[in-house]
Amino acid sequence: MARSVWKGPFVDGYLLGKAEASRASGRNEIIKIWSRRSTILPQFVGLVFGVYNGHKFLPVQVNENMVGHKFGEFSPTRTFSSHSSDKKAKRG
Amino acid sequence: MPDERILMGVVGRPHGVRGLVHVHSYTAEPADLPTYGALLDDSGRRWTLVWRGDGVAEMRDEQGRPLPDRNAAEKLVNTRLSVERSRLPKTEDDEYYLADLVGLAVMSAEGATLGRVTAVHDYGAGASLEIAGEGQPILLPFTRACVPSVDITAGRVIAVLPEEVVVATDAPTTAAGPDQHPA
Repeated sequence: MARSVWKGPFVDGYLLGKAEASRASGRNEIIKIWSRRSTILPQFVGLVFGVYNGHKFLPVQVNENMVGHKFGEFSPTRTFSSHSSDKKAKRG
Repeated sequence: MPDERILMGVVGRPHGVRGLVHVHSYTAEPADLPTYGALLDDSGRRWTLVWRGDGVAEMRDEQGRPLPDRNAAEKLVNTRLSVERSRLPKTEDDEYYLADLVGLAVMSAEGATLGRVTAVHDYGAGASLEIAGEGQPILLPFTRACVPSVDITAGRVIAVLPEEVVVATDAPTTAAGPDQHPA
């Protein structure tokens, strides 16, 4: 069942404070979080989070397309590796 | 690194009795495998590949002859197909092949060695470099702030390790983190 709209998106409170502190500092920082259940809000765009997957903190660079998704969607909990072949990585 | 070979796929089980084989393509778009032209196996033989179905291909040798029957196809099972690194198209600015990044030395801005890139991950939220050095591996976001310089020819990247945001009031009290309720 979908979450009621009147409640608004769920976000653990401490994330808002950390995001605000990171944005205010303007330094090269990573925000380590355990809250995989929190929704990605528009004010998180441009920040880099380290989302815990039960083993390590995977870097998540938030962009506009990720707003509305949960942090946990971008930090898989199971090992996955693929061959590099012609795959490319773009520097963000 | 023009002579380096990049693994692009592996021949799987035979398909039918007419010499077709399943091919596991490792390219970003699996159907793009034939666009790289001749594929080299480990012994240096050149093969061209023509898709004949979903994941099923006809393999042709250097003379353009297809495999005649299933027996010939069975001999190719587990053959690794690769191309020379120089055949991959040029990348855009700030874009790098994963195969080029893996193995690069990682240096700090002061010149100290931090380790070596062992893997590049991308789970839909930007790429990150896994760096193996002393102690636990480091996962570093592949951003300009964290990786200001990438020099493929010199075989090194410059890394600036990010600081961790700490807010005094929300320090986790347990190893599980602040958002976990006690059992």
